Amino acid sequence: MIDERIYEQFREIGRDLYVGDLISSHGGNISIRVGDHVIIKRRGAQLGRLKMHDLIETQIDKNDSGVALASTELLVHRKIYQMTPALAVVHCHPRTAIAFSLSRDEIVPIDNEASYLLKKVPVIWEEFASGTPEMAKNLATMLQSYKIVMLRGHGSFAIGQTIDEAFHWSSTLEESCQIALAAKVINEPFMEYRKMSEAYNKW
Amino acid sequence: MDGWAGKILDIDLSSGSVKTYPLDEKVARLFVGGRGLGARMLWDEVGPEVEPLSPDNVLIFTTGPLTATGYQTSNRFSVTTKSPLTGTVLDANSGGFWGMQFKKTGYDALIVRGRAEKPVYIEIKPTGVTINDAQPLWGKRVREVTQALGQNDHRRNVLCIGPAGENLGRMAAIMNDGQRSLARGGPGAVMGSKNLKAIVVEGKQRPGIDDDERFKFMLYETRKLLRASPLTSQALPEFGTVVMMNIVNNIGALPTRNHQQTQFEGAEAISGETLTEKYLVKNASCWACPIGCTRISKTDKVEAEGPEFETTWAFGAQCGIDDLAAIIEANALCNDFGLDTISVGSTIACAMELVEKGKLDADLHFGRADLLAPTIEAIAYRRELGSDLAEGSLRLATKYGLPELSMSVKGLEMPAYDPRGMQGQGLLYATSNRGACHMRGNMLGLEVLGLPKLIDRFQVQGKSSYVILHQNSSAAIDSLVICKFTNMGVADEYFARTLTAVTGIPYSTGDLIKVGERVWNIERLYNLREGFTRADDTLPPRLLNEPVADGPSKGWVSKLEPMLKEYYRARGWDEQWVPKPKKLAELELVNLMEAAR
Repeated sequence: MIDERIYEQFREIGRDLYVGDLISSHGGNISIRVGDHVIIKRRGAQLGRLKMHDLIETQIDKNDSGVALASTELLVHRKIYQMTPALAVVHCHPRTAIAFSLSRDEIVPIDNEASYLLKKVPVIWEEFASGTPEMAKNLATMLQSYKIVMLRGHGSFAIGQTIDEAFHWSSTLEESCQIALAAKVINEPFMEYRKMSEAYNKW
Repeated sequence: MDGWAGKILDIDLSSGSVKTYPLDEKVARLFVGGRGLGARMLWDEVGPEVEPLSPDNVLIFTTGPLTATGYQTSNRFSVTTKSPLTGTVLDANSGGFWGMQFKKTGYDALIVRGRAEKPVYIEIKPTGVTINDAQPLWGKRVREVTQALGQNDHRRNVLCIGPAGENLGRMAAIMNDGQRSLARGGPGAVMGSKNLKAIVVEGKQRPGIDDDERFKFMLYETRKLLRASPLTSQALPEFGTVVMMNIVNNIGALPTRNHQQTQFEGAEAISGETLTEKYLVKNASCWACPIGCTRISKTDKVEAEGPEFETTWAFGAQCGIDDLAAIIEANALCNDFGLDTISVGSTIACAMELVEKGKLDADLHFGRADLLAPTIEAIAYRRELGSDLAEGSLRLATKYGLPELSMSVKGLEMPAYDPRGMQGQGLLYATSNRGACHMRGNMLGLEVLGLPKLIDRFQVQGKSSYVILHQNSSAAIDSLVICKFTNMGVADEYFARTLTAVTGIPYSTGDLIKVGERVWNIERLYNLREGFTRADDTLPPRLLNEPVADGPSKGWVSKLEPMLKEYYRARGWDEQWVPKPKKLAELELVNLMEAAR
């Protein structure tokens, strides 16, 4: 039985992801760690319209009947919980960030908020951009050192102590990329306003 | 190895021998320093056959690779021993200047063993290590001893015990720099049992830093974040830790009159705001700390450091006392006698309830501020009833027939948060290895302050995950060793990157949390070897069975059992809370398992 308080967190953040244009109607997924279990969105459910029965509980290290219902990204979420201190994972499809990921190996924000919060976002790439053990392991390895990582051409995976926190990193990344895009459109010389900003590249 | 000094100093007070040996590099990588290094060393040094107050117990003073580097709050150090109050593994850490100075003597750790025939003090200087006669100092209070031995914050620092430690009080603290304390669990009594009055340090060696450029960037970023956080840049500097008084009271989680209520009608009178308005003289800081939460307070009778929130609560709400001047004076007395204010305040409250229930015939009553000072003095010198109180609340309440009135876990008195109003805090207290402790992964951030984000304080399902993460994180921070208040503005990620910059060893955030998990597990193994069982992971019956009568936590008890079950599974322990082989292999602790069984 899943606590009503947990359902509320899923419902609110799921709705915000959809309303905030960070996912399509059926895209993305979110999960939390509950002891040695994971609660994750049901496969095919719409994050923007989650019902209590759309939350699936299964184990992190072992299969049970829950895996038959869980999101197709369960493998990745499990690996993240196995390899990092994450208590929550938000996977979404931030459009501008995805566009930047097509031409860069890392996204280094130029705006103040994301410089402050994220410093640098690595971009990783796999032939099959979701669902493979290799990709899951690479992603989780990267998330040992970074709070949010981009999968090239696919989307972001963010971790946090709460879904709220992982959502914060996700929306910050997309906002930062929209600012960077706008700056490109304006196309005027960049006036550095941050001390020691060169160190962000080495973060 | 940059960061670490690379040496351990070993002094046997029985024989007078002084030895030095190298710090094991693998142990340093796995346990880092501070609490972690201390726990690993204690594992080898003190087995279940050793009585805490016997010469065979040891005191292990440790620093970490960040200590004395100048990183924000890198002033702290730790002491590890077997606790005379709880019988568990004990680590206590303290700020000020002594830890920084000790690291500069060129050692990562000092182990003190044996018992001197007569009172002595140890002096560690660039010219060498000496064991000196302390008979003229024996019986003296902390301030006097600290001054007599030449305390100078930036050059020469004194750590000592007061009369409470000499008299083997189980709540005795070790004091450093005059008014800072390694307080909890009675380490002062262990020092007293060794006839060791003081340790004086003077050092000149600065620790090496592997990547100076990256380290400077981490200093810059950390300073920026600490300035940006209203908690670390405004609330703590302006009001000190007592800023929590009104916050915790308002949510109905402030234990009052020995946890009989969860809100105190006199909270405003003992709040941080009142302290600042009426008694604050100035702020002070530990070495390399930009936060400056230390208070210098003044009443008609004393001018002294403090009081902290926990102290103000223990002598205030817990004893039903709203006289802040009396609390400031009680705090100053405890510091001068060398006593743990949380345990002393809560033990006095326990005695007050024993009197209220007719089990103890004494002049101790809730709300009587005038009784604090004489009772504290009686505890320090073990005079009359003070001798019973000096044993701590559990032994006191057991002797007088109502052990359930001791608001403690594993014999250590609980701090200022009622688990009925903060479900995660209850699980934290119950599972804490040194007994009830808020410094072992405080849920205040998540359940009350919204750090990093607010979670529902009454939620039960999933609470174990938060508690475990914060227990591991706090064990890692205690191993670095830095102040946990930095964690209110700066995430673990920054500490891992700073550790990498200083040592040259790549630590990811995950690696650092893994260090904390390793430390938590070796402490658990230690307690297992001492004979503690699953039954010791519990809370006083009042918190499990007596719902809060009114206020914002009305109707709640601690729902501990379902949280515990989830906790053990998530920890990778079996139903008897023994870590499973797979978990021990993952933590590189597998060779310790057989001994624990």
